Amino acid sequence: MPLITRRGFLITGSALAGTALVAAIGGVGFLATVDVEGLHGGAVDGEDAKLNAFVMLRNDGHVVINVPRTEMGQGIHTGLAMLVAEELDIPFDERIEVVFPTEAHPSYSTWSNVLQVRPEEASGPVAWIGRRVLGQMGFIATGASGSTMGLWHPMRVAGAAARQMLVAAAAARLGVPASELTTAEGLVHHEPTGRRIAYAELAAAAALLPPPDAPTLKPRSAWGLIGRSQRRVDLPAKVRGEPVFGMDVVLPDMLHATIRHAPVFGAGVAAIRNEAALRAEPGVVDVAIIDGRHVAILAQSWWQAERAAWRLDVEWTPTEADGENSAALAARLEAALGSEAPHGHIDDGDVEAALAAPGARLVEADYGVPFVTHACMEPMNATAILNEDGSAEIWAPTQNRVTMQAGVGRGMGWADARPGEVTLHVTMNGGAFGRRSDQDVIAEAAYLAARHRGRAVKVMWSREEDIGRGLYRSQAAGRLRAALGTDGLPLAYDARVAAQSILNAMGSRNMPFTPGPDGDYLTVEGLDKLHYSIPNRRMRSQHVPTHVPIHFWRSNGFSFNTFFSESFIDECALAAGADPLEYRRRLLVDSPRHLAVLERVAEMAGWGRPLAPGRGRGIAIEECYRSIVAQVAEVSVAEDGELTVDRVFCAIDVGTVINPDAVVAQMEGGIIFGVTSALMSTITIQDGAVRQSNFHDYPMQRMANAPAIEVAIMQSDLPPGGAGEPGIVPVAAAIANAIHAATGRRLRTLPLATTETTGVRRVRTLLATQA
Amino acid sequence: MVDFTLNGRPVSLDGLDDKPLLWVLREDLGTLGPKYGCGVAQCGACRVLIDGQSTPSCVTLAGSLQGAEIVTVEGLADPEGRLSYLQQAWLDEQVPQCGFCQPGFLIAATDLLSRNPSPTDDEIDEAITNICRCGTYPRIRRAIHRAAAARPVA
Ligand code: FES
Ligand code: FES
Repeated sequence: MPLITRRGFLITGSALAGTALVAAIGGVGFLATVDVEGLHGGAVDGEDAKLNAFVMLRNDGHVVINVPRTEMGQGIHTGLAMLVAEELDIPFDERIEVVFPTEAHPSYSTWSNVLQVRPEEASGPVAWIGRRVLGQMGFIATGASGSTMGLWHPMRVAGAAARQMLVAAAAARLGVPASELTTAEGLVHHEPTGRRIAYAELAAAAALLPPPDAPTLKPRSAWGLIGRSQRRVDLPAKVRGEPVFGMDVVLPDMLHATIRHAPVFGAGVAAIRNEAALRAEPGVVDVAIIDGRHVAILAQSWWQAERAAWRLDVEWTPTEADGENSAALAARLEAALGSEAPHGHIDDGDVEAALAAPGARLVEADYGVPFVTHACMEPMNATAILNEDGSAEIWAPTQNRVTMQAGVGRGMGWADARPGEVTLHVTMNGGAFGRRSDQDVIAEAAYLAARHRGRAVKVMWSREEDIGRGLYRSQAAGRLRAALGTDGLPLAYDARVAAQSILNAMGSRNMPFTPGPDGDYLTVEGLDKLHYSIPNRRMRSQHVPTHVPIHFWRSNGFSFNTFFSESFIDECALAAGADPLEYRRRLLVDSPRHLAVLERVAEMAGWGRPLAPGRGRGIAIEECYRSIVAQVAEVSVAEDGELTVDRVFCAIDVGTVINPDAVVAQMEGGIIFGVTSALMSTITIQDGAVRQSNFHDYPMQRMANAPAIEVAIMQSDLPPGGAGEPGIVPVAAAIANAIHAATGRRLRTLPLATTETTGVRRVRTLLATQA
Repeated sequence: MVDFTLNGRPVSLDGLDDKPLLWVLREDLGTLGPKYGCGVAQCGACRVLIDGQSTPSCVTLAGSLQGAEIVTVEGLADPEGRLSYLQQAWLDEQVPQCGFCQPGFLIAATDLLSRNPSPTDDEIDEAITNICRCGTYPRIRRAIHRAAAARPVA
């Protein structure tokens, strides 16, 4: 018996409109802070009693918790299940089963993240539109460090509502008032008579009761789980090699496909010169051109398909970008910085006057970062089938159910197939980092499945396609200027960034509408809100399109803008002759929350204690994803230029913490991800194509060069912020600042090092020589 | 024709001599623990023990394995399903994030501890060259030390 009743989600427009209409008329309470719609369970399916959209009790005492967010390593299945368990009063042990629901219930929607509000704080027309439109669309996405923020309230409400229904069922059974009953450890207890009933015995009756209108949440003082580290629910399987990643989906009689994308982005297939020979290769079943752009080779096994693809001889169509290279693209950014940047984001006070004031000390610097890519450990893949009856099913590691759904429609459309009912399965993700919110590989699988109707097709990209023909974080350039007053603090701050618009690029590939670059908060984040008190401030951005496909990349704009801004504030401190920590303290006098995080990290790192020659400390701080994170990096630069990041200290205020050890793990992982890109990562363009192809030329931090990391979590009563991305955000600037402290050299371009291969799977990093 | 054992079970393969072991395991033997991450002996996601030695299976041809004893992550627990010391340490330190790379790390670390029951940090750096994009290295290091300390001296 399936864990949950499998219900397909209809993609057709009329069905969607119909459902929305019925819900809009019939739904009540959708303006309240609690989405009561998600609380109507009322279903008993065999041995399972569904109490609401998030909680199902099984009669063997197991509790199924629906967590409609992708587990991609961040531990979200555990953290969100803890919220239900806390309110439901059940032990957090192996009886909890966490499931990514196949059904797209409106209460699972990511609307609050899209609209950048907390559900419990949202009201009025905005919340209504979010719930109605995005909810009904099945807009379920995992990203922007927003899952905990978005479900912090709804999932506790779901747990509390289920608990109250179980208590009501027990009261009816025992003939006592509900007020005499208490709950703990999965039991309802009647203190006066000493009677106890297990939830499992009450579940079927409870499921048929109406959900409470306003379930009462536990006060903070009564929490037993929230804030105490719990073991992750997904790890027992992960140490046995058991979880099913997208790559591990196996269906009967499945075909395997490998893809070759054009080396130059935007090119199409002019001709396959050796198609007949490829078709004669062992195991090869089909050679297909997808949407005129990519070549797919299908075989009985992926190995056969891939081996045949090595011999593929394609003539690609010429494009205008055939002559592009990194230097030319960087020059375009440079030029954009010098032009009048069209998009304004901050305009406070009179920056021009302050910069021109007599006696103002000017500090000015340009910074840059290259293209980089995600390199998720699990290469891109998806498995699809279009059944003879017109229904379709797809399995993929994805962060975004909506682009998944759109990808199925688009890919099958290329084969003129219009699927009826489509069932979407989100598998475990072997890393994601923003990459898996694109529909590219899903559309490819859908097209090939439609071409081979009745047969499942699994598409998997080689690592070479992932790194060399994939999606990228934009290159970017920043120009920052400040005028320092007589006290050394900035009177004016003027920032400009030139980059390719992330939302514009992502939207044009995946969405029915494309946001304009002036509305792209992702490209300017890290510069568009300044936590330092500076009276005159201005920030401008310029969208510089290239032929390189840009995508979300863990921490997006922060990944470059915070490198710019936190390097620059260090430069201001040095120009003022101040200690970088002391300087930031003075600029943060009005921000006690920031200041506390800064003080904490400085104390952890022993700021000010002398270091050996050739070593240095650097500090950086940022507010992002409603969290505040500060880091101190300690680096060594040897006589021969070898650069090592020895230690990174990290203090984070993430608001209320649910699973502290998972936050620590996210900081550790984020820091290592950030150190990799700060020191090692460059995607270079030559003749229009990416030069890098695999881990030998797109290296990663490994055990031997990963820094030691210490993390402290600040105590806070604020609602939770995000933790998936903040760990990366300050690290590049902290390292650049530390390099300056160690050597007196200011590096303003990432990566900060060059890599030298010293053996098999061994590299060392040497301080970059930059102008 | 090649015969070897996989996690203690005898296996005979025919006509697959020039197929890398990784793909034989995943496609022909249904052993999905070893993962494809790079195909060129760079990442270690595909590592398996061949006669006790940690080896990237993506570049090991099945034809070379006559008589070999092959252990994948699925074979690390004992026949009753009890976790190995190392797997237990991995859980106790809450090592995995996405988990995709972990089968390869568990294999590499099993090999290391079989040769060196109590490795130093430098020896760990020397022996463990896999890639974890999620950045679980600090916990992997701690788990190896923990397993080394927990294992009874033979
Ligand atoms: S897949 Fe074999 S080492 Fe990466
Ligand atoms: S845990 Fe994700 S790659 Fe290692």
